[in-house]
Amino acid sequence: MSARPVAVIGVGQTHHKKARADVSMIGLVREAAERALADAGCDWADIDAVVLGKAPDAFEGVMQPELFLADALGGAGKPMLRVHTAGSVGGSTFIYGSHLVNAGIHERVLTVAWEKQSEGNAQWGLAGGRSGGIGAGGAFAPFIRKYIRDTDAPEYIGWMVAVKDRQNALKNPYAHLKIADISIEKVKESEMLWDPLRFLESCPSSDGACAMVVGSEAAAAAAPNPPAWVLGTAVRTELSTFPGRDATRPQAGVDCAHALYDSVGITNPREQIDVAELYVPFSWYEPMWLEGHDIAGPGEGWRMVDDGATEIEGSFPVNPSGGVLSSNPIGASGMLRMAEAALQVRGLAGEHQVEGAHVSLGQAYGGNAQYFSMAIFGSTQDAVR
Amino acid sequence: MTTEKGSASAADEPMVVDDFVALTYHDRLPPETVRFADGLIAGRIIGQRCPQCRRVYVGGKGFCAMCVVVMGPESEIDVADVGVVTGYTIITPVRYYGQTKTEPFVYASVLLDGASSVLGGQEITGIAIDAVREGLRVRAVWKPPEARNYEGHSTRGWGSLAGGIVGFEWTGEPDVPREQYKEFAV
Amino acid sequence: MPADDIAIVGWGQTPSVASTDLTEPQLCLAAVNDALAMANIDRHAIGFTCSGSCDYLSGGPFVFISNLEAAGAWPPISESHVEMDGAWALYEAWVRIQHGDIDFALVYGSGKSSPSDPALLFPQQLDPYYLEPLGLDPASLMGMQARALLDSGTATERDFAAVAARSRRAGAANPKAQTLPNGAGESDLDIDALLAAPYVRAPLRAHDLAPAADGAAAVVLATPAKARELTDHPVFIRGIDHRLEPHQPGVRDLADSPSTRLAAQKAGLGANGGGVGVAELYATSSAQELILRAALGLGPDVSVNPSGGALCSDPVMATGLVRIIEAAQRVADGTTRRAVAHAVNGQVLQHNLVCVLEGER
Repeated sequence: MSARPVAVIGVGQTHHKKARADVSMIGLVREAAERALADAGCDWADIDAVVLGKAPDAFEGVMQPELFLADALGGAGKPMLRVHTAGSVGGSTFIYGSHLVNAGIHERVLTVAWEKQSEGNAQWGLAGGRSGGIGAGGAFAPFIRKYIRDTDAPEYIGWMVAVKDRQNALKNPYAHLKIADISIEKVKESEMLWDPLRFLESCPSSDGACAMVVGSEAAAAAAPNPPAWVLGTAVRTELSTFPGRDATRPQAGVDCAHALYDSVGITNPREQIDVAELYVPFSWYEPMWLEGHDIAGPGEGWRMVDDGATEIEGSFPVNPSGGVLSSNPIGASGMLRMAEAALQVRGLAGEHQVEGAHVSLGQAYGGNAQYFSMAIFGSTQDAVR
Repeated sequence: MTTEKGSASAADEPMVVDDFVALTYHDRLPPETVRFADGLIAGRIIGQRCPQCRRVYVGGKGFCAMCVVVMGPESEIDVADVGVVTGYTIITPVRYYGQTKTEPFVYASVLLDGASSVLGGQEITGIAIDAVREGLRVRAVWKPPEARNYEGHSTRGWGSLAGGIVGFEWTGEPDVPREQYKEFAV
Repeated sequence: MPADDIAIVGWGQTPSVASTDLTEPQLCLAAVNDALAMANIDRHAIGFTCSGSCDYLSGGPFVFISNLEAAGAWPPISESHVEMDGAWALYEAWVRIQHGDIDFALVYGSGKSSPSDPALLFPQQLDPYYLEPLGLDPASLMGMQARALLDSGTATERDFAAVAARSRRAGAANPKAQTLPNGAGESDLDIDALLAAPYVRAPLRAHDLAPAADGAAAVVLATPAKARELTDHPVFIRGIDHRLEPHQPGVRDLADSPSTRLAAQKAGLGANGGGVGVAELYATSSAQELILRAALGLGPDVSVNPSGGALCSDPVMATGLVRIIEAAQRVADGTTRRAVAHAVNGQVLQHNLVCVLEGER
């Protein structure tokens, strides 16, 4: 059988903060889920299945926390599934939920991704409880150094991305970091954490959750707000390390993008996509993914940044929400990319809405830059032109 | 468990409880890791050569993940204890429970002569950290034989050298041209 | 509802042992290579891969990334992972293959229980605010559940021992199962001997509880057309579904499994066991087997856990997938035309999966 159309009919997210001490893990996921249900104009009983995603359980210190969280998400009597694909998990969780509708198994699926970093210590979790942990920045810094060396990019490119995303975050009521006086000078003078990455070029640790209700054509027709059509999805994974690996332009990212573009008829992504939400936890990943997903040619990604093309008013806006650099509830960060991309084509992105957005790209990556999940959203089912 | 602050009524003062959990795992090392560990104690760095693609993995896991074929003792060869820095970063340590590092340190990838896989996370000594660079020729700094042990080995990740080697130092030789290791950069 | 009956065309499982020197990726490699060899397809023919594993069980973050090395992730593959038993990885792959754009999917599940103490580990799987601080271990929860079953008047401790005796005799004939003492009989004398053992958590004795093990399992799924090209005896998934119950044991009737009943209904099992000849049930206690039999409506004529079941070997995170494999094996070899497999996620049957398997109609 062939896949049937699927739409995002509800989006919800929490206010992301360093510590959401006002809510438990339960309260956090419910806050996002209730907003998504309200947007979708439906109630818990209208949901057929629940899909949860988050990054390693060590981050909060609860083994398979979905088993207790499912109660609060109306899971009883329904199928529930927990996805974990490292940093890409929020994207993968959404994609699996959309496949449940694609395959004709369910009419409405609630997908939720979350992280409550304040309840544990992610650095400790990543280090496996040992000393000498390098953090995610330490793992990616050598790849970034190679990108800079390969493309002769000027060092201010990273600072520009850091400033742009924080300025965008000022327009997003849910964003964690609100640095009103962000400037190139400020980024440049912040502490060097993982050479060449400075403190303000790095993502924060956030508590937060994101929820999306995906539904069939009938569910979309019954929903009060306009849908975002899920025109295509793709996931790709490669080994974390192997001889001859190009970690700067991972083949899995190239393959994932092309599988996605081919499935929706995109031949010129830079022209045919109106706005992108890319998983950029460290500033340099914006130009790296522009090139790694063949939106820009080799060495052209940083020039797009330099030319202002990725600003909210630019020719190819990237992360108008402020992105991962402004809010990073790790497990939810990938789903936030999908949710924000969906909001753009629904025309519901508020102050950070990109004018005339009809086709959007959501992307998440994880592990040692080896897991990719990507989706294309359209304001109509034939939005790609 | 320690109760830090409590309030049942004031909505603006949440109750915070610290719940520290200690779990102990006892790993049994697989045979190839034991042979690798014994090799370090004997002053050897053992690699495993895939019978199919001929790539040499240092800290071999008993199979080639690219060909998905098993590599047994017959696949094992010695690789050199000298190599080249193919990528690095300098890390300012982040504070967390269990972290003992306090000063910035080099985190380098080293490709040993005769190996196909880089060793990640190596410390470079005997040179100022801001002088560390890609292409630097380095040699293993061995622990004295009596100080070598089974430290650092686990059933996860690529093999640790910590049982026999404390890090790498500059050999004093000229840098290796990038073309010679570019395929293995980072 | 999806129309296509996806087929199972290959499987592999490592022997389940109390403790192995092999790493989890090595276990996965063995199971995956066996499954691919049985299906007689090249790994590059796989269109989607999904695995099931658990960081807490394995003792490190991202254990699935290491396990991935066994799946052949070069060139890059289309892949996902569930922090659950491999049976749910099979479910995700079954959903994915419905799209009609791929021919084959690979599924594997793995876990090593030997490095840690389940009594200390599994309390971490409970509600961290209200249950985890109590230090409730799985055996205690299963004891409470068995007590609830006894109190319902539908089973006796002798029934528990009879389940254990039958499972052990079956397990003794299964080369993949652990070798357990008292493995060879189910006479009244054998049952009396089991009942003479001390309680671990009253009313449960050691033989009533699944022995945690190390192991991995893998399955290859295929579209119906590809399955018929590859084999004369394809095993079709006629229905599969999974349902959850509330987490708090106090709000559930532990002597019943309504979520299993609902999943069976949604999977199209049918009334009174739906005519299956074989049932492979993931029961981590003998009492749970009785609860599951009742929920599925299985009569005395159904062969339950002919593999020996989890009471002989519980390679956590693979055990549910092993149930599907054992059921598929018995459809493929003609033991039965129709079989049901069950898997569980969480404690005391919180979340249950039911899979109905059949040969060619």
